[in-house]
Amino acid sequence: MAATQEKPRPLIDDLTRPFWEAAREHRLVIQRCQDCRYFNHPPRSVCNACHSAALTFEPVSGRGTIYSFSVMYQPNVAGFGDELPYLNILVELEEQPQIFLVSNLSEVQREQVRIGGQVEVYFEDVDAELTLPKFRLIA
Amino acid sequence: MSWQGKGKTAIVGIGYSELSRRPQKSLGALSLDACRAALDDAGLPAEQVDGLATFPEAPFHGAGTQDGEQIVSVEYVMNHLPLAPDIRWYAQIETGLIASAVIEGVNALLAEACEYVLVWRALHNPRGRYGAWSGNRAPGDAQFMAPYGCTSIFQWHAMAWQRYMHRYGATRDHLATFVTNSRRNANLNPNAYFYTTPMTREDYFAARWIAEPLCLFDCDIPVEGCVALVLTTAERAVDRRHPPAYIAGYGQNTSRRRALFHYSLDNYMESGHSLASKLWASSDLRPQDMSAAELYDGFSPSTLYWLEAAGFCGQGEAYSFIQDGRIALEGELPVNTFGGSLSEGRLHGMGHIAEAVMQVTDRAEKRQVPSASAVCAIDGSPMLRGSGLVITREP
Repeated sequence: MAATQEKPRPLIDDLTRPFWEAAREHRLVIQRCQDCRYFNHPPRSVCNACHSAALTFEPVSGRGTIYSFSVMYQPNVAGFGDELPYLNILVELEEQPQIFLVSNLSEVQREQVRIGGQVEVYFEDVDAELTLPKFRLIA
Repeated sequence: MSWQGKGKTAIVGIGYSELSRRPQKSLGALSLDACRAALDDAGLPAEQVDGLATFPEAPFHGAGTQDGEQIVSVEYVMNHLPLAPDIRWYAQIETGLIASAVIEGVNALLAEACEYVLVWRALHNPRGRYGAWSGNRAPGDAQFMAPYGCTSIFQWHAMAWQRYMHRYGATRDHLATFVTNSRRNANLNPNAYFYTTPMTREDYFAARWIAEPLCLFDCDIPVEGCVALVLTTAERAVDRRHPPAYIAGYGQNTSRRRALFHYSLDNYMESGHSLASKLWASSDLRPQDMSAAELYDGFSPSTLYWLEAAGFCGQGEAYSFIQDGRIALEGELPVNTFGGSLSEGRLHGMGHIAEAVMQVTDRAEKRQVPSASAVCAIDGSPMLRGSGLVITREP
C-alpha cells in the first residue's frame, strides 16, 4: 500500500453542492424545510419530517455539542494511515436535536474530549477545490 | 389472541458447512455442502424442495458480489442442486437479515405456495482488510463521513456504545462478562470457529483496539461458510429424522426514523420494540417464557441493546443484568448458548436461528439448556434493522 494515499473526497452531487460551496466560503449551511422548518442533514430531496420538497440551505451557528466519539485504530481508510489512532466526534448542532456532523478533533484537544463538550466549527482548506468543515472544543 | 400461523410451520433440518477464515473450497461449494447437510438432517430428498429463500447481502459495502464466489443467490442454488423440477416459490430479500428470509418462507408455506423451503445464508470473507473503504470519491451520505476517516460500521457502533457507557455507567468490565460467556459457550459448540480456543477476561482486556471503546473481541469473527435450514408445514414436519422446531411467532423492525445517518442510541428502545412487540404478540409468549435467547452480536453491545429493547430487562439495565452468571448456560436466561457471531462466526444471524432449533429439539449436546421449550432468535441491531423468530418445542 502506498504511503502517500489521498484521503477520500466528497463526490459532490446536485443535492449536496450548496453545502460544499458554502464550506469553500467558510460558511456552514444546512438544508432546511421551508414548510416545517426542519433541518435535514445529509441533504434530501424530500423533507424527512413533513415530506415537503421545499428545501433550501440556511446558515447555522456552527456551534454544537459532542454526542459521542471514538478512536479509530484500523487503517481502513486511505490517507489516514499516518494519523492512527485518530479521533472521530459526532457533533449534534445546537439548532436541532439529532442533526449531526462528523468531524475529527485535533491532536492537542484529544485529552479533553468528552460527551457533552461544546464545539464550534472551523474550516480546513484541503486544496483549491475542497474545504472541510471541522470542529474544535470551545475553551 | 395469538397469530393464526403460530405453530403451523417448523424447521426440520439444519446444515453447516465448514466455517473457516480461508477455505480451500469456493463459497458456492460450501453453500451446497450446507444445503445437502440440512436436507440430510431433515431426511428429505432434494427433489422435494420446491421453495427457496436467502438473504445474499455482501459482508460489507464494497465487498464483491460474484455469484457462487462472493455471494450465493437463489439462482445459484436452483442451478446446482437436484431440486424439484418445478420450483414453485422463491424469495431473495434485501433487508431485515436472514430471519426475514425465514419469515418469507413461513408465509409462503402458510399460503400453500410450496411445501418444503430451503433457506441458507452464505458469508464470504474477502481477502485484505475487512471493511476497508475503497475508492477516493465518497458518494451519497458517505461524503459527509469518509473525508473524516469514518466509514466503518464498527466506528458507528463504537460511538453508540460510548454514549451508552456515558449515559448508564457501563464499563468494559461489564462487556467482558458477556464476551467471555459467549466464548465459553462456543467451546462447547463443535461448529464454532473458536471451539478449541478459550478466552479469559485477561485475554479480553489484552486485545487490541479496533475503534475504542470496542476491541477486537467485541467484533464478530469473519468466516467464510454457510448454514442452511429446511422449513415446512407442521403436518409435513412430523415424520422427519428429528423432532420439528416450530415457528411460534415472528417480527421485523418497522421503526420510522428521520435519517439513517448514524446509529443513534436515542431510538434503540423504540426501534427494537417495533420488532419485539410483534414477536411477543404473534407467539403469545413473553420474554420470561424464553428458555434461552439468541441475540445478534455483530458487535458485542448489540446483544445488550436487544436484552433491553426486547424486554428481558429495563432500559439501561442490560450491563448489570448480564452479571453474576445470569446469562450463563446454567443461569436464569442463557444468552447466545452457541457462542454467538463473536465466537461461532459471522453468519449474519443464521447461527442464532440454528441454535434456537437445536435447543428446543434437545440436540445442543453439551450446551443443552434442560427442557428448553421456547427460544427467540433476533437478528440485526435495534438501531438499524432486524428481524426475529420465536421457536418452540410444541406447536
